[in-house]
Amino acid sequence: MFVARSIAADHKDLIHDVSYDFHGRRMATCSSDQSMKVWDKGGNAEWNCTASWKTHSGSVWRVTWAHPEFGQVLASCSFDRTAIVWEEIVGESNDKQRGQSHWIKRTTLVDSRTSVTDVKFAPKHMGLMLTTCSADGVVRIYEAPDVMNLSQWSLQHEISSKLSCSCISWNPSSSRAHAPMIAVGSDDSNVTYGGKVQIYEYNEVTRKYAKAETLMTVTDAVHDIAFAPNLGRSFHVLAIATKDVRIFKLVPLRKDSSSSAPTKFEVQVLAQFDSHNSQVWRVSWNITSTLLASSGDDGCVRLWKANYMDNWKCTGILKGDGSPVSGQPGALSGILGSATAQSALNGNCPMKCAVMSKPRPRKEKPRGGILP
Amino acid sequence: MSSGYKPDILWSPHHADRYVICDTELSLYRIGPAGSSETKAGALPLSEETAATLLAINSDTPYMKCVAWYPKQEPECLLAVGQANGRVVLTSLGQSHNSKSVPAEKVRLSGDVDSGLVVTKPLYELGQNDACLSLCWLPRDHQKLLLAGMHRNLAIFDLRNTSQKTFVNTKAIQGVTVDPHFQDRVASFFEGQVAIWDLRKFEKPVFTLTEQSKPLTKVAWCRTRMGLLATLTRDSNIIRLYDMQHTPMPFGDEVEPTIIERSVQPCSESIISSFAWHPSAQNRMVVVSPNRVMNDFTVFERISLAWSSTTALMWACGRHLYECAEDAGQGVAATEKDIATKMRERAQLRYGHDTMQVWRNHMLAGGDDPQLRSLWYTLHYILHCSYTENVEQKQQSNKQSLIYSGIKNIVKSSSGTTETRHCWSGSDRQTDVPRYHSEERSLALQLCGWISRGPDIDVEPFLKSLEQEGERERAAAVALFNLDIRRAIQILNKGASAEKGDLNLTVVAMALSGYTDEKNSLWREMCSSLRLQLKKPYLCIMFAFLTSEPGAYDAVLYESRVAVRDRVAFACMFLNDAQLPRYIDKLTNEMKEAGNLEGILLTGLTKDGVDLMESYVDRTGDVQTASFCMLKGSPGEVLKDPRVQCWIENYRNLLDAWRFWHKRAEFDIHRSKLDPSSKPLAQVFVSCNFCGKSISYSCSAMPHQGRGFSQYGVSGSPTKSKVTSCPGCRKPLPRCALCLMNMGTPVSSCPGTGKADEKADLTRDKKLAQFNNWFTWCHNCRHGGHAGHMLSWFRDHSECPVSACTCKCMQLDTTGNLVPSDSV
Repeated sequence: MFVARSIAADHKDLIHDVSYDFHGRRMATCSSDQSMKVWDKGGNAEWNCTASWKTHSGSVWRVTWAHPEFGQVLASCSFDRTAIVWEEIVGESNDKQRGQSHWIKRTTLVDSRTSVTDVKFAPKHMGLMLTTCSADGVVRIYEAPDVMNLSQWSLQHEISSKLSCSCISWNPSSSRAHAPMIAVGSDDSNVTYGGKVQIYEYNEVTRKYAKAETLMTVTDAVHDIAFAPNLGRSFHVLAIATKDVRIFKLVPLRKDSSSSAPTKFEVQVLAQFDSHNSQVWRVSWNITSTLLASSGDDGCVRLWKANYMDNWKCTGILKGDGSPVSGQPGALSGILGSATAQSALNGNCPMKCAVMSKPRPRKEKPRGGILP
Repeated sequence: MSSGYKPDILWSPHHADRYVICDTELSLYRIGPAGSSETKAGALPLSEETAATLLAINSDTPYMKCVAWYPKQEPECLLAVGQANGRVVLTSLGQSHNSKSVPAEKVRLSGDVDSGLVVTKPLYELGQNDACLSLCWLPRDHQKLLLAGMHRNLAIFDLRNTSQKTFVNTKAIQGVTVDPHFQDRVASFFEGQVAIWDLRKFEKPVFTLTEQSKPLTKVAWCRTRMGLLATLTRDSNIIRLYDMQHTPMPFGDEVEPTIIERSVQPCSESIISSFAWHPSAQNRMVVVSPNRVMNDFTVFERISLAWSSTTALMWACGRHLYECAEDAGQGVAATEKDIATKMRERAQLRYGHDTMQVWRNHMLAGGDDPQLRSLWYTLHYILHCSYTENVEQKQQSNKQSLIYSGIKNIVKSSSGTTETRHCWSGSDRQTDVPRYHSEERSLALQLCGWISRGPDIDVEPFLKSLEQEGERERAAAVALFNLDIRRAIQILNKGASAEKGDLNLTVVAMALSGYTDEKNSLWREMCSSLRLQLKKPYLCIMFAFLTSEPGAYDAVLYESRVAVRDRVAFACMFLNDAQLPRYIDKLTNEMKEAGNLEGILLTGLTKDGVDLMESYVDRTGDVQTASFCMLKGSPGEVLKDPRVQCWIENYRNLLDAWRFWHKRAEFDIHRSKLDPSSKPLAQVFVSCNFCGKSISYSCSAMPHQGRGFSQYGVSGSPTKSKVTSCPGCRKPLPRCALCLMNMGTPVSSCPGTGKADEKADLTRDKKLAQFNNWFTWCHNCRHGGHAGHMLSWFRDHSECPVSACTCKCMQLDTTGNLVPSDSV
């Protein structure tokens, strides 16, 4: 059972990204107003903004946390063609007592000639590595050789994907059987350019990233991409936000360890949903990769869940403003799970949008509920 | 609006609740909440919450081509209308401004102070046959009007001096509109293409948007958001939105604007004639269809979202954040819970930690998952068998490992099988059902839980426990398979007569009692056909057993609704040495493929078992069960499998992410018992200030020294009495910053700061008695002392207790300030 409530974010423009830290106790948001905010969860489960500062000279597209073992570290990327690494420091002032924390810029990565569209830290077991991708189609992998000194980053790899990149995702698997792998999505809308999702794999022998797979069936612009937390599974699952929600399963085929060729995958489409009726903007996995959330141009957030047969079903819809979907007044909890409700949710849900006749509530208050 | 008389819509620049619809006439509407007292009976519903009321109609200006609202507060409702004959007329709507003063420029323009209502004198005439296709006011300079004429001209006119104008020759002359947030930016269109202009360099468009296949009918800037342009094509139900990430700079800006294209469908399938942005409400617009049906509608922003590790969903829509947190309500059925939620709940119930009564772990997991139930019973029987085996015959180590290797391997190693034909108990009639015995088979039966350890095969205790748990059909079937029809009937009768008894059981008991082993009897014939209608699987297999030929028990063996445990036990009793391994192999492969935990009974904790568990983890993601199950395995063997190591690491990572650090520590302890190599090494040493040696007593040669002292007759243990000094050089250890005693002295209780605190300290002291004496120090300023003293100091202070040291020791580490979310 989920209950939605609104939080007064106080950004002056559209919020582009929201990101939780490892423990889910801190959150970072970034916006078109060129600023970033850090939120800490208080004892009463309320989110308090503990830092807000201007970061870039353009819209800030994405923000992401490093694993806490590297300290309190954030990275952001922007339309201003840069990516920045931030670190929280405890200053001499009494910031903490006022409930404020201080973030300082550790480095600015200026290699891109165009808007930097996504930034992601590599999985922890690879060390402190940061990846950016930009509109000119270059994926850059940086490494901080000394994790104590975040002002030094060296550009380790440059992958040219030849298509304008919109999003990247690391394969989070820490298994030694899986080589480091990164998926890159392109928002190029020209369908004749072929597959818009490319997967690159690190090769121990050549010490380079090589293309392992292109998902040729994804020909429309890709807006977001997310590898599912692996959790010791023998295969990888990739969610893609394009004109619909797609879930791919990549089963690595056994290869002899001596060969330096990239791993071959058996690619299966697990699910494909067009119930957003239009472009899908974001996809996100929960920690066990058993729940997928997606958002689309219908202004709705949809939750997807697989049953034991790997059949993915919609288990919840919430409007962007937290209100229940019109036509289904009240909490969805009562009807979800029943067969009839399921079919209604899976079918074409005509887009309806709520009207806010009153100003949006500033105070947090419970809204409609949905089932996990 | 350019072709035909499709209605267009215009929002009042000053009244957030008024707009005008114009087709052949101008109609002024007011928008209000639906159902309120203000809205009259004639109100038109716009959405579920809003409705519109018609306020005024003006039909004085024919041949309307385009309309623009006068941008100043006064006079209200003054509109400029471009006509098909090339004229621009100022006109007005409503009565409200009737008596108000008419502004100076209007006086000058019309020379008609008194009437005020409608001004019909042409202000400016473009040319004989030119139609004015679009126009708008320049917001920065209210005397200027931007006009687009037929002859490929876009022009700016100054109303104070009508001869002063700026021209630009372009095709894109329709739908001229100024960006309200950036007043030098103007959009206009031609056919399917939108051109964006910068008035400061008016010579050519700054850029154009991708061309649409159909001609455009309307282009409008969002009033509340920077750089959001909405466009509409003819006969379409989709409004396209262009989100421009473009800081407009007039000169030398080589940055191509990033444009995010989106489309919205405001009223599902019906075609849109026009739309207008609300002047103040965020992203709100009213759309109107060709038949003047209006619809109030809000465009949602691109929503970004993220899951937290504790299954809370946060999303950002526009400028707002929404958190969709998991409700801890009890009303949710267990089957609907996500595995992440289940694992968290199970971790808190210490699932997997019951090492004495291993089967009880399935109760800790909620007790409602038949597979987990089967798994933990299997592990229980394995551990039980191996324990008793251990006690009785210590030397037989290969048997020991056989127990762990599953029934599949046990039956393979089977030798010396004897075949017996038993009597139906209670009668001396010989059965023609052969039963097979061997040491391995009875071990398998033990693992299935049918019999306990002992020389004779006695299922009575098992039957009793089944009866107690109310599994009467299962008990009856087990009794029957042990050739005790009388007991089976008795069990069924008891079941029928019990509270809420099932009368069907009596009928079944009656049918059972009529058993005859004659091949062609009516009983046989009827039972074998009618049994298929029995809904309960155990009743079904009872009759299947009685009616089938010896050795051909497929109806029993492949009844998937019957527990694997019972089918395997049955197979071990009634299949011969050729059939049995074949059946077990087949079943094992089935279980492995399905990832069914019941199959662990067959595979044991071997590589096969890991394979099976792998497909279970692939299917469910339940690394918790996988980790705990493999930790029960025979020491070392399966734990070395990289897959198992991977599950364990992933599970520990989950516990860390949930801040279940105590549970993680417990898990590590549990693990290190089975896998000593997983113990972490000492991470920190404290070295003496004087000699530089580690002060740890367990280190190096200390035990020898201690013994050496006692040999010389020093009373008491020197290691105990000298804990305040370095064991290497006998110099005193540093002092605690608070009590100023040398470290190593026992902690006296902290000075009470209040009664409530003292009480809390009492319970805490109990738990942390040893911990209070520990050394602790700040990494930054190197001051420190007894852990107990430091904890109580930093409960009230943020600065270091050492005078003149301003180090904020406790705040240095953000993760250190997180509290674990599990209780010890």
